[in-house]
Amino acid sequence: MNEKTKQNLSTNAPITWCPGCTNFMILEAVKQTLTNFIDSKKFKQTDFAIATDIGCHAKIFDYLNISGLNCLHGRALPTAIGMKIGNPNLKILTFAGDGAVYSEGIEHLVHAFRYNSDLTLILHDNQSFSLTTGQPAPTTQQGYISKSEPLGVFDKPFNPLKIALASGATFVARTSARDIPHMVEIFTKAINHKGFSFVEVIQDCLIFNTEANNKEKFMYKISDCHNKQRAEKLADEFDYNSKEGKIPIGVIYQVMEPALEEKWPQLKELLENKKNWKSK
Amino acid sequence: MRLNILIGGKAGQGINKVSEIISNTLTRYGYFVFNYRDYPSLIRGGHNFNILSASEEKIESHDNKIDFLITLDEETEKIHLKELKKECQILSYKEFENEGRNLNIALAGALIKTLGIPIEELENEIKREFPDKPEPLSSAQKGYNSKKAVSNLKKIEKKIWIMDGSKAIAKGAINSNLDVYIAYPMTPATNTMHEIAKNQLKNKLMVLQAENEIAVANMALGASFTGAKTMVGTSGGGFDLMTEAISFQGISGIPLTIYLASRPGPGTGVPTYSAQEDLDIALRGGHGEFPRVVVAPSNPLEAIEKTNEALYLAEEFKTISIILSDKHLAESEFSTNEKIKKPSKIKISRALPGEKIIRASSYEINKELTTTESPEIVKQNADARTQKYEKIKKFIEKKFEMIKIYGNKKSDNLIIGWGSTSGAIKDAIKGLDCKFLQVLYIKPLSKQIKKEMSKAKNIILVEQNVTGQLGRLLREKTGISVPRKKRILKYDGKPFTRDELNEEIRKKLK
Repeated sequence: MNEKTKQNLSTNAPITWCPGCTNFMILEAVKQTLTNFIDSKKFKQTDFAIATDIGCHAKIFDYLNISGLNCLHGRALPTAIGMKIGNPNLKILTFAGDGAVYSEGIEHLVHAFRYNSDLTLILHDNQSFSLTTGQPAPTTQQGYISKSEPLGVFDKPFNPLKIALASGATFVARTSARDIPHMVEIFTKAINHKGFSFVEVIQDCLIFNTEANNKEKFMYKISDCHNKQRAEKLADEFDYNSKEGKIPIGVIYQVMEPALEEKWPQLKELLENKKNWKSK
Repeated sequence: MRLNILIGGKAGQGINKVSEIISNTLTRYGYFVFNYRDYPSLIRGGHNFNILSASEEKIESHDNKIDFLITLDEETEKIHLKELKKECQILSYKEFENEGRNLNIALAGALIKTLGIPIEELENEIKREFPDKPEPLSSAQKGYNSKKAVSNLKKIEKKIWIMDGSKAIAKGAINSNLDVYIAYPMTPATNTMHEIAKNQLKNKLMVLQAENEIAVANMALGASFTGAKTMVGTSGGGFDLMTEAISFQGISGIPLTIYLASRPGPGTGVPTYSAQEDLDIALRGGHGEFPRVVVAPSNPLEAIEKTNEALYLAEEFKTISIILSDKHLAESEFSTNEKIKKPSKIKISRALPGEKIIRASSYEINKELTTTESPEIVKQNADARTQKYEKIKKFIEKKFEMIKIYGNKKSDNLIIGWGSTSGAIKDAIKGLDCKFLQVLYIKPLSKQIKKEMSKAKNIILVEQNVTGQLGRLLREKTGISVPRKKRILKYDGKPFTRDELNEEIRKKLK
């Protein structure tokens, strides 16, 4: 337990991530971010709610003493949007993996950009399905050999940041699971963004697809970008396939557009009066 | 007295308008009507028709044999020739070709005169429908004046209201102070979405069309979890997509109500026609074992009341309620003079996220609300779900109407049916020695059913599906099987008509 985090953000559940897993660092960064928000008195601990998907990342549900729903595989995003519709005053963090969002539930990601609901998606991208023992995910590099594709991955990985920009994202960021202060900075900006904020956390898996690990040497920090053309160039710098080129981390793109909760008069009213449906 | 009026033409010619004018005029004149709509899955052209039945007694079905034929195009007469009674009157589009777009209104006017209803009744209806336009009134008058009265219907003093099943489900939801309705368009469930969406701001609720039914069901669980009274609507295919989320409901105990309006066939099937083939998925959709409620109203009055009960049960018992309907209930118009029961008030008494730390999961969880694989807790949780179902069952048995019995209550002939088929059964058994048991709650089932089945000497099952799905369920729950030769099963997409069903039942009576 770090002094930078509130003690009561933790639960008593034993942590079952592999020893040395970078998920520990993501958890720490989330706790520090939440602690800052709670200490600043802007929000109470009960104002936050999480929606977690299914996969290694989702174990974070058990380790955070926050309201929330541990959802179905691939469905954390629509569930989170629903949670926001049910009470737009909640601050919602969604945790999901590359398998969950880029594969099982990719349709929800594209539409989440369209709705622009005021919530944050923290996407743990280790370029593989790890909890199911290492099958390739949509961001896995070509040639990767696994038990489900022993002939090696034939297909090119897709670039989620480019999908985000093409889908009308209002906040796209990338950070590194090995850099807690950077994660805290980016998570804070994402939570403060009025609209749907998409944060991809590049993380290593120590057990599966280890050849995709250790990308820090390609990473460099950028200043916040508000220019779409520059954002597209930044997104193009890393193709998820090769071990060459640069990996920009930071806020890749941010623009202000009305959030779902401001567009719908019913939700706007609940938001302005700090009410939920029960007290409507 | 029973009159059957068939109105036919191409999609887009205003067939529903003719039905509406005639229905409204007749109900204001004190007559009950039932309006069946038959249309293919297209927007313009093709052949659409309505069968509008009218009677001084309450009716909930249409007939196969036609007394009045209104044609808006050449095809209609050819297509329906075999269904016309000998004395059938034909009102043809040919007589009013100069009326242009108001052809349908002229034909409505002609029929009102044929029935012997005073012109003021027609004029008042047209003025209500088209307050600022002179042309429809003039066309209606031209139609009226072109005909001679062949019957002489007397005015009856009765307050009758008309509604289709889709609007009734919507009304039931709005009466229950629903907060959020989420859906993806799918016939025949969509009209309910349209109806709730129409006045959403006035009714202080929100209607959202999500990207697909998977999103619909998961969003709904999210919204319900954080405190909104939430309902979703779909047909069979969409329900299939929702089943994983239904299972999520089962373990998380987040209240959810689903309106399932089924249609015929596997796959895309026959989208604009009717069947009762989805009882099995309503009862069993979703992996694992968990409680649920399945209720099947048969007419708009029941749809209003049972939708309220479904929403009430979902919130009160943190369960899933499925309201099972079909195209025949959703899109046929029924009339009644009965009053709607006062809705049960639905209170969200659980603590919500935002108030304190509230957690739920698709995993089994322990008392600390974190994931567990402990065999003891896994078993405890399963037992708790079973106990919850027992509580739901007891509550429904005590508070809500689970079955209805019609006809000769002492008869040895027992007909069993459910949902939209009930209307045709009720009308078909008039004058016959039989009793009709309508099953309203299909999960849980009333204990009364076994008693009735044990007493009866001759049980006849009427369903609109291939395998007699309710019959199979009753065999499982009561041990009593309805023999194959005693089953009247229709599965061609067309709902039962009163006259046809009457003949079928006669053949099976003892």
